Amino acid sequence: MNNALEVSHLTKDYGSFKLDDVSFTVPGGTIMGLIGENGAGKSTTIKCILNLIHRDGGTITVFGRDNREEEREVKEQIGVVLDECLFHDLLQPRQIGKILSSLYPNWDNKLFEHYRKKFGLTENKTVKEFSRGMKMKLAIAAAFATRPRLLILDEATSGLDPVVRDEILDEFLEFIQDENHAILISSHITSDLEKAADYITYLHKGKVALTGAKDELLDTYGKLVCSRADLEQVEPALLVGVRTSQFGCEALVKDRHAFTRRYPALTVDPVTLEDIMVLTGKGDAR
Amino acid sequence: MKGLIYKDFVMLRKQLTTYLVFLIVYGGFCIAGVFPTSILVALVAAVGLTVPLSSVATDDATHWDRYAVSTPVSRRGIVAGKYLFAVLVILLGAVVTAVLMLLFWSFGMADASLEELLSMVAACIFLTLLLNAVTLPFLLKYGAEKARMISMVLFVSIFGGSILVGGLISRGLELPRFPDWVLLSGPILLAVFCVAAYLVSYLISLDIYRKKEF
Repeated sequence: MNNALEVSHLTKDYGSFKLDDVSFTVPGGTIMGLIGENGAGKSTTIKCILNLIHRDGGTITVFGRDNREEEREVKEQIGVVLDECLFHDLLQPRQIGKILSSLYPNWDNKLFEHYRKKFGLTENKTVKEFSRGMKMKLAIAAAFATRPRLLILDEATSGLDPVVRDEILDEFLEFIQDENHAILISSHITSDLEKAADYITYLHKGKVALTGAKDELLDTYGKLVCSRADLEQVEPALLVGVRTSQFGCEALVKDRHAFTRRYPALTVDPVTLEDIMVLTGKGDAR
Repeated sequence: MKGLIYKDFVMLRKQLTTYLVFLIVYGGFCIAGVFPTSILVALVAAVGLTVPLSSVATDDATHWDRYAVSTPVSRRGIVAGKYLFAVLVILLGAVVTAVLMLLFWSFGMADASLEELLSMVAACIFLTLLLNAVTLPFLLKYGAEKARMISMVLFVSIFGGSILVGGLISRGLELPRFPDWVLLSGPILLAVFCVAAYLVSYLISLDIYRKKEF
């Protein structure tokens, strides 16, 4: 299985914020979910992949090609949906199709029409007449019609209702049935990624807090729910983050199987991606 | 790049139509003798300067450049698209104006010879090219809002300055005499200078745009 995207030691320093030594890989036929709190570096990472900003260090390859050396060839393989619809308000879908057909050599107008109809986008309406959800559907239809091998979506499903999100996630799952296709999707909505992603990279304060196969991460990490007294007996190195309240404590456990063997009396629950994000953040606060 | 130019024309269709109506209305004023025919060439400059500015303004409003840079069209393609669009708009304005002037002349309603009228259109094409050579790098670096002021100052100072000098000459101001070869080759030198300035401006804009982050 070839890698669709390889990000290696990516660094971008803004002074007040630094994307620091970020590395992850997206294998073909998979969906990589990029998660992290606001300002963690998700959009900065995506901007570096798309060469929207100039990186300070590291390498990025898409299907084995350097994204700077072979920029045009790389971008011909990528369909992009950014966090807002960037098409001009006065354009109609047909005109957008005409514009993009000259920018993308693999543009498939029939496919664009197929998705336009499937997503219920009226042909003679202008972009400004569409709701936010419809605009995102339009951007997604356009991204599919570029016949990409790699789809990059930056918070593309945020702000959409659950029904639309579910519909779009199904499209993504169908897209990656082809092993030559892959998706990198950044999202705050971790439940979507739990449903669709094969791999997860969690960015925290500009660094990779964890990266790996989603099922493996969810199986390895655990959530300890206990009293303060119990928590004080646990070796801190085994925990990533702790949240305490008047009713008890919650802590993120790095290796729940090893933890259960060592502390059989304590209960470690399965963890969600949201638990990992929230408790890691709490770990910093502590 | 073709798609980017098509996008600019679609987006600014209404503005271009308005200018066309202006040209026809001003043409009517010229026939009625309210304005000299030469006023029409000023409209070529107005169209050639404001329409590219508006195209950058609409791109800024939707953050279109963020999307455009993500596509296979290179940063060079985006800059070249804007420069080519400006040239096409100037030529479009010039062709419409030249046709109007030709009509006035053929019906005996022009206040100058055909040669003079067409020379004015040609001079305006190159002058507008020069104006765009100055404003486009500012537009691409600072965006339409900040660059709008620069365009306004340029437009007012050049055309206001021309009117001022014209007025002073009519009151007896003597300009220094240029050698004959300068006067004879003046139009060609002006044309070459304006085209060269436009090309240099393109290279400057390219450098600005390559460094830009979105």
